[in-house]
Amino acid sequence: MKRLTDLEYLMLPKWNKFWYKFLMFFVDIPANLWNGIKGIGGSIASFFKAIGREFADIGKTFAEGDWKTKTSFLVMGFGNIARGQILRGVLFLIFEIVFVWYMITPFGGAYWVQMLGSLGLQGPEKGYDEILDQYISIPHDNSFRILLYGVLTIFFIVAFIYTWRVNVKQNKIAEEILKSGKKLKSGKDDLRSLVDDQFHKTLLALPLTGILVFTVMPIIFMILVAFTNYDGAHNGYTNALFTWVGLDNFKTMFSWDVGGVNYAATFGEVLTWTLIWAFFATFSNYFLGIFVAMMINKKGIRVKKLWRTILVLTIAIPQFISLLYVSKMFTLNGLINGALLNFGLIDKAIDFWGDPMLARIMVIVINIWIGIPYLMLIATGILMNIPADLYESAKIDGASGWKQFSKITLPYMLFITGPYLLTSFTSNMNNFNVIYLLTGGGPTNPAASGASGSVGFTDLLITWLFKITTGSDTKYYLASVVGILVFIVVAFISLVVYNLLPSVKNEEDFQ
Amino acid sequence: MKRFVAIALALVMVFAMAACSGGNTQQPASNTPANNTPATNDTPATNTPATNTPATNDQPATSALAGTYNIVVWTGEAAVELTKKQIADFNASNTDGITFNAEVNPVSEATAADQMLVDINAGADLYCFAQDQFARLVQGGALNKLGVKAAETVAAANDAGVVGAATVGEDLYAYPLTSDNGYFMYYDKSVIPDADVDSLEKLIADCEAAGKYFAFETNTSAWYLAGWFFGTGCVSEWTTDSDGEFVSVNDTFNSDKGLIAAKGIKKLVDSAMNLSSSSAAEFANGAAIVVTGTWAYNDIQAVLGDNMGVTDLPSFEVDGQSYHIGSFNGCKLMGVKPQGDDTTKQAALHKLAQYLTDEERQTERFNELAWGPANLNAQKSDAVQANPGLAALFAQNAYSVPQGQIHGAWWDIAKVIADDVKAATDEAGLKQALQNYSDKIAALFTMTAEEKQAWSAIGAIVGTSWDTDIPMNKVADGEFETAALELHAGEEFKVRQGASWDVNYGKDGVAGGDNCVVEADGTYKIHFVESTGMITLIAQ
Amino acid sequence: MNENKTPKRHLGLKASSAISNSIIHVLLVIISIIWLIPFVCIVLQSFRVESTYQVGYVIPKQWGLDNYIKLLDTNFPQWYFNTFICAVVVSVTQTIIVLCMSYTLSRFRFKLRKALMQFMLILGMFPGMLAMIILYRVLDDLHLTGQYGSSVPGLILVYVASSGMGYYVSKGFFDTIPKSLDEAARVDGATRAQVLTKIILPLSKPIVIYTILTAFMGPWGDFVFARYVSQMFPGAMNVAVGLQSWLATDTMTFNNYTLFCAGGVVVALPVAILFMCLQKYYVEGVTGGAVKG
Repeated sequence: MKRLTDLEYLMLPKWNKFWYKFLMFFVDIPANLWNGIKGIGGSIASFFKAIGREFADIGKTFAEGDWKTKTSFLVMGFGNIARGQILRGVLFLIFEIVFVWYMITPFGGAYWVQMLGSLGLQGPEKGYDEILDQYISIPHDNSFRILLYGVLTIFFIVAFIYTWRVNVKQNKIAEEILKSGKKLKSGKDDLRSLVDDQFHKTLLALPLTGILVFTVMPIIFMILVAFTNYDGAHNGYTNALFTWVGLDNFKTMFSWDVGGVNYAATFGEVLTWTLIWAFFATFSNYFLGIFVAMMINKKGIRVKKLWRTILVLTIAIPQFISLLYVSKMFTLNGLINGALLNFGLIDKAIDFWGDPMLARIMVIVINIWIGIPYLMLIATGILMNIPADLYESAKIDGASGWKQFSKITLPYMLFITGPYLLTSFTSNMNNFNVIYLLTGGGPTNPAASGASGSVGFTDLLITWLFKITTGSDTKYYLASVVGILVFIVVAFISLVVYNLLPSVKNEEDFQ
Repeated sequence: MKRFVAIALALVMVFAMAACSGGNTQQPASNTPANNTPATNDTPATNTPATNTPATNDQPATSALAGTYNIVVWTGEAAVELTKKQIADFNASNTDGITFNAEVNPVSEATAADQMLVDINAGADLYCFAQDQFARLVQGGALNKLGVKAAETVAAANDAGVVGAATVGEDLYAYPLTSDNGYFMYYDKSVIPDADVDSLEKLIADCEAAGKYFAFETNTSAWYLAGWFFGTGCVSEWTTDSDGEFVSVNDTFNSDKGLIAAKGIKKLVDSAMNLSSSSAAEFANGAAIVVTGTWAYNDIQAVLGDNMGVTDLPSFEVDGQSYHIGSFNGCKLMGVKPQGDDTTKQAALHKLAQYLTDEERQTERFNELAWGPANLNAQKSDAVQANPGLAALFAQNAYSVPQGQIHGAWWDIAKVIADDVKAATDEAGLKQALQNYSDKIAALFTMTAEEKQAWSAIGAIVGTSWDTDIPMNKVADGEFETAALELHAGEEFKVRQGASWDVNYGKDGVAGGDNCVVEADGTYKIHFVESTGMITLIAQ
Repeated sequence: MNENKTPKRHLGLKASSAISNSIIHVLLVIISIIWLIPFVCIVLQSFRVESTYQVGYVIPKQWGLDNYIKLLDTNFPQWYFNTFICAVVVSVTQTIIVLCMSYTLSRFRFKLRKALMQFMLILGMFPGMLAMIILYRVLDDLHLTGQYGSSVPGLILVYVASSGMGYYVSKGFFDTIPKSLDEAARVDGATRAQVLTKIILPLSKPIVIYTILTAFMGPWGDFVFARYVSQMFPGAMNVAVGLQSWLATDTMTFNNYTLFCAGGVVVALPVAILFMCLQKYYVEGVTGGAVKG
């Protein structure tokens, strides 16, 4: 592939431009990777440099600071209190007390962190109690808790170090301000600034805390599980402890023969279907949604509101009701087959969910039923925003309806909804509800039997992952590996597509 | 510079979590005899009134167990009311001064294990489950095994098949609840002539002629599928060690007999009227035949009324010979969840479980719900013998195989056979389907290269019966020896490699030859020379 | 909706336009029928009295309200109450959080803003399925699961906690409000907080209602995580878990199928009606925010 100059590129026909960009992305991968690695190397270097600077600054603060500052190194907030910033000082102090108490309390922070390396030493065992004629369990460690609270404690320690550093820095700044003869901010000033120039911190505090604890922490935990042998037989507290196994689980996932199961092929098959599904689910909804929107919006169509209202019913009604019901309608002896047989259209019931190909087509078709209304709503809004004079001039040029659509409507839609298409593609890759409620992943894929989670022909990576965690052997570690791979695939696709989007827009344009 | 306020806010949350962890997890390994879980350490809301209050005045403390216990019980929806009544009866019986304050929730026996294994500590204290989930529950540590004395009593009173199903190694892990988890055939008499019920071919023809479905859950459930293979004499027998780990399997589905079964299955799945289902409701949706169990009896009667026919499974014909379709003969069990440090509650729960599964309670369950008893005395009662559903089950029992311990993965592996068979176009395809199956089964016990090379002795020696490999250690290059064993005259054994019969030696160093026989009592080491295959006994 | 702006088709004969319009009308009627069939079937089944299981016909032979009356004897009212409380609280708190987040990211320019947004974008690419097991354990340790009485507070906590991630749509909307408005107010001496409450919020009615609506609808459909948290205690289930438990085994399906349909209707009705009433705002939210966000 020859690299083109800017001029040559601009002269290419439209589709060639697209392909050029598409191919160049892959051509550029090695170079970009190398740059990325260099970039990471650079950031690591600058990170350590920054750490070095921090230490130097801390040392300097200690050496040059007065006794209030020096005491603050041990008793956080002391300097603030001594200099009259009571509110700040008390908060620092409380935080330090809580932290120290938590770390040294028996089986508190120190215990969890220290156990992280082994994930528990003493597994559960049974003893016989003759008097009551029963078996009792002997006290033991709990791997799950060690991992969970170990991670939380590390979060806590990092937060403490950071706060301590802020505490030191504040002393230094306060000293400088006092030296220059200015006044320090009072607690009242602090509070006021929280609704004014520091308002964003107030606004973000709660949402970010929630995300940190309920999204980031579980994801870190999940990633860590991929490096353990946590499964039904090693659940960490009632049967056996789990422990670190390094990269074994990734090796399993990419092996041709693990206990007779070809995990690599199974994964490849599920991934392929996931991508096919996401492609069809996204674009079938997209084009049909636009088509329906154009029909409803056409001049002279009556009761527009009624059509829209009927269509959006599928958004309004919870999917576990509608999809579960639709799935039952298409069973071998369900309503649809019954009706077709009665009308004599078929002479043998169609096994919609039993035939792999048919089941795959069915989930895509039924997904249209769920998905069109969203697109219809979006397209309605955009269609109304297309400048009418574009159509006027097209009409004067004698362009046909189809020409208008392909030359004006579609490009305009594609331009505006580019990012939406991308997110809808990735969210379709993770469309759990439609697949799980309609087919449960079935029909079973004989080639993959024996693989954890009994893989079916319509299983997406996400439903497979779920089935692993609820299947007969609950291999959580394998589910974690799948989860990480889903992330990698989604991230890769997003990167590729984002690179190609015509409307990578400057967010300030809209303001 | 006010970022510290934001940080402080953020940390309140982290701290709340971390502090909580510190709060209810202060009992790891050393200091308390705890399971280290909230369910046992902090009294949950449902347990609040007092997990073990002293007995009241009018009820003299007769036992260390006396007291009131709050418990959660899971049982199938149909049995909820009866179980409540039976627990009330237990309280009234005043056994050891124990009173239970029970919350009985409907959780189906078929899915109890899934729910239990999500989080054992949040699961029920006492729960009913179908036998196929037993292995998972033992492995997951969700069953507290019975005490020595209780195990003896229970084993003596119940059906040996059921007791075997609840046993791992030497230990009994659960209480037999029913012995009716088998399947047989229900049919619509208005469609199927009684004369045809013994022949699969006729039944399929009848269904096709009437445009009615033949519901047999072969494609989605290994439990139903396996019956075809048992009918032709195939076996799938699994052995576990005392921890519940599966160590070996004797599976003959991939054989000439298995091929016959596959041909039979093909007849059914190739029919347009075959429906892979075992739901009673199929009769309302155009089915004339449904293969299912006793639990569907009342439901099916509600749909078919007098037209309901019940009988054992039919026979199918291959190459002029007739084979009766077999089945699994299983049971439902009741388990006690391990209670950690609350040993008195645990002991009290065992008392309750024993009570709920005794003869009287099982009979009551039969009378109220038509669940077939596992208790030997209850089984003999006239009423049980006269029930049409159970009669069909007993008739089918002649062709059934007791459902022992089965590897959890088998259910997933075996259920695809029917799909493979359906896709097969010729006999080679059928063979391939069975080959795929047996490859997957064999691979469950994949061994390291080292294990594959290892030699062992096996036989009816030292209390084993051809089911346990006795390891041999290398004593010189190409020479191997067992530890000193006490052998008796007349006992037979062989030496094999990799715990498989692919490579084995017998008398006079003959590969695959006759068994070696011990000539005189004594303590010996079994000595084996790889190059010659010679086996000698070295007296100690 | 302003219909005048709809693109005009090219000039054709009136007759041809009438023909194409009638074809479109026919198409729309067919589409509507396809869209409505499943819902009509569910409603019809819920009125069936003669049997309780799935049958091969649609129109009941005997009509009655038996199934709805029977719902009252089950745990259904409790499930409904649980879900309703959950939905109300979530819709309020989640809206506050989402608005805080999106307003901040739209209006403030601070250090790490870009990094924060990229970080959340990356976080969003991890499948949330596995996190449920961990969150379930955390809730259990916080005593917010079924065995401690009620699962509602725990569910609310989890639904709300991560809701900040869903800021895209409303940020897109805020981006369309001219910044000059803020600046004018700031010049007049308003604090940032006052700008938000006095200027921006009154202009943001569509997006606020959109956020409330989507947040309100979420809890009704959760049948996976809510199941973990309920721990199979009937009193702690939400409607989705409860209704699904009625179809757990064949025997249960046999006895509860029409009951399931009736429950489904009772769940879907208020949600659907609310949605229909606020549809206008939903459309404005989707088109205004989703596309640009």
